[in-house]
Amino acid sequence: MLKLGVFELTDCGGCALNILFLYEKLFDLLEFYDIKEFHMASSFKEHDHLDVAIVTGTVSCQRDLEVLRHARNYSNYLIALGTCATHGSVQGAVEGKIRDKLEKVYGTRANTMKALDPKPVVEYVAVDFALPGCPYDKMEIYQLLLDLAKGVEPIKKDYPVCIECKLNEYECVLVKKGLPCLGPITVGGCNAICVKSKLGCIGCRGPLPKEANPAGEFEILKNLGYDEEYLRRKFKTFARGELRW
Amino acid sequence: MVILELGEFTRVEGNGKAEIIIENGEVKEARVKIVEGPRFFELLTLGRYYWDVPDLEARICAICYLAHSFASVLGIENAFGVKVPGEIQLLRELGLIGEILESHSLHLYLLVAPDLFGYPDAIRMASKHGEIVREGLALKAFGNYIREVIGGREIHGINVKPGGFGRYPTVDELEKIDKSCDALLRFAKRAVNIFATQEVFGAVPRYHIATDGYLYGEKLIASDGERFDYFEHIKEKTLPYSFAKQSHYKESVFMTGALSRLMVKSDKLTPIAKELFEQHKEKLSQGHVSLNNLAQAIELVYSLERAKEIVSTLLDHGIKGENVPIEPKEGEGIGYVEAPRGVLIHHYRIDENGNIAYSNIITPTALNHALMELSLYEEARKHYGAVDENFLKHKLEETVRAFDPCISCSVHFVRI
Repeated sequence: MLKLGVFELTDCGGCALNILFLYEKLFDLLEFYDIKEFHMASSFKEHDHLDVAIVTGTVSCQRDLEVLRHARNYSNYLIALGTCATHGSVQGAVEGKIRDKLEKVYGTRANTMKALDPKPVVEYVAVDFALPGCPYDKMEIYQLLLDLAKGVEPIKKDYPVCIECKLNEYECVLVKKGLPCLGPITVGGCNAICVKSKLGCIGCRGPLPKEANPAGEFEILKNLGYDEEYLRRKFKTFARGELRW
Repeated sequence: MVILELGEFTRVEGNGKAEIIIENGEVKEARVKIVEGPRFFELLTLGRYYWDVPDLEARICAICYLAHSFASVLGIENAFGVKVPGEIQLLRELGLIGEILESHSLHLYLLVAPDLFGYPDAIRMASKHGEIVREGLALKAFGNYIREVIGGREIHGINVKPGGFGRYPTVDELEKIDKSCDALLRFAKRAVNIFATQEVFGAVPRYHIATDGYLYGEKLIASDGERFDYFEHIKEKTLPYSFAKQSHYKESVFMTGALSRLMVKSDKLTPIAKELFEQHKEKLSQGHVSLNNLAQAIELVYSLERAKEIVSTLLDHGIKGENVPIEPKEGEGIGYVEAPRGVLIHHYRIDENGNIAYSNIITPTALNHALMELSLYEEARKHYGAVDENFLKHKLEETVRAFDPCISCSVHFVRI
């Protein structure tokens, strides 16, 4: 049996919850894994060596950083799970200095709880696998954990949301309706679920590494009449630091 | 002075802990510390175009993302003076019902039930009580199916939009919901029996607060008969030891959540839920926080009955699927929604270009924060010295759990 730990930093809870949404399939995983820490689901906790650690959320305070370091130091294989952990996601998109933000929100510059500027897990520690998505598709973590249990090298998605959109034969909302769809520059894996709702992709899985052409997408949307500032914020919503154009 | 530290709560959503302050052998104070980092959602949406805002607000919480996107959409529509037709209202209500089913079954079966049966978690509990855990999972999966159909995805779908939806459900999808309601009702009734046996603990709130409709509304109502806007009677304060603020209603500690809904809105219940409520009314009226669990179980029954009513109405009338067109203009609006764990408030001011100029979000866990501390204080006083420390810690954690707190939500209700 492999020892598994699930650690939550600051986030909406969805990436940990999504594991529970595997329902019966969760019991399949338990054939291979012994859960040693998963505070959302269990009061059982064993501070010991782990084969696999899953970390969700951004590092948003000193407590998060300590939990992350613990998870890294105690595990052989660390998975940064979800866009918060891989790219910073929505809370990472809020620009400004931490004390300025605290003042605006809590009315004081005092930082008694040791808040930090929210950053993804990957900026603090080396990770063995980064699986983005806000949230990721639950079958992705299922497959990843099974691959690891069987000693198979897990595969990273390297295609845009557009590929899955075409495979589903959805109508292209960018070309046909002129909606600001970020599918062309966003890494796939979600099965183009938001385009199924006839709405544009909002980029929740972060940018497609290397091959994406954000400058081209930016020009096209600008020519469709979208405001530059609007687009800039839209592009940076889930991956503040990554897109350059 | 001795400080008794409770480590981070387990089997709750998010990261929080508590400390009990003891002086001369007597419990002086209880503090609930939210240690999850701040998330600054109001800054995230400030200056953004209204259309994109509900998708971002959904990300405040995964367990109740639809309550957030719906509260956001309501606040925006109220700011623009937009009214949506009955079909859209019913579909949105159906989405909230799906969320109640998903969230309550997660809480009752996976988080609370292990305490009742003496296990550290539902996975280990499943070895002996597999059928109960699987019934809970079936209810949860069904709630999630509704969330997927209405919301666009199990978690953080973007289908709920100002003026309507991206995509409307098909007849097949609605019929599937209709059939499942019948099949699952038996499980929900059994949940009521299970949670009716739970021992009673926790503080008694002076008031209950809810929205004026069962799952959303135009105003808040309180158990003293008041009908009001939140800023009229609810006052907040910041705490040096927590990333969450604390609220009081007319200077008193109050509660919001499933128990509060039943106490102030039982006239709106569906037939079987109403019967079960009457059956347990005496017990529920004691008002202790732990009874929130029994109230949630009764709401599982309500949700299945109400979902069936809604789906029948929609199938009878047929889905038109027409959104209300929106002209952005300057305005201010508040959305009041019942998230599974209580009243959720989204308040916006929007400028003439349709961009957010002001935003204030108040979540149920923040509203319940003061009552949570009071409950811990009372439980600690009751047990301190009489039982060993580990047992005391266990009791206190159970008390916090009864609120079904959602800590991710609580760390960013703020005013700019």
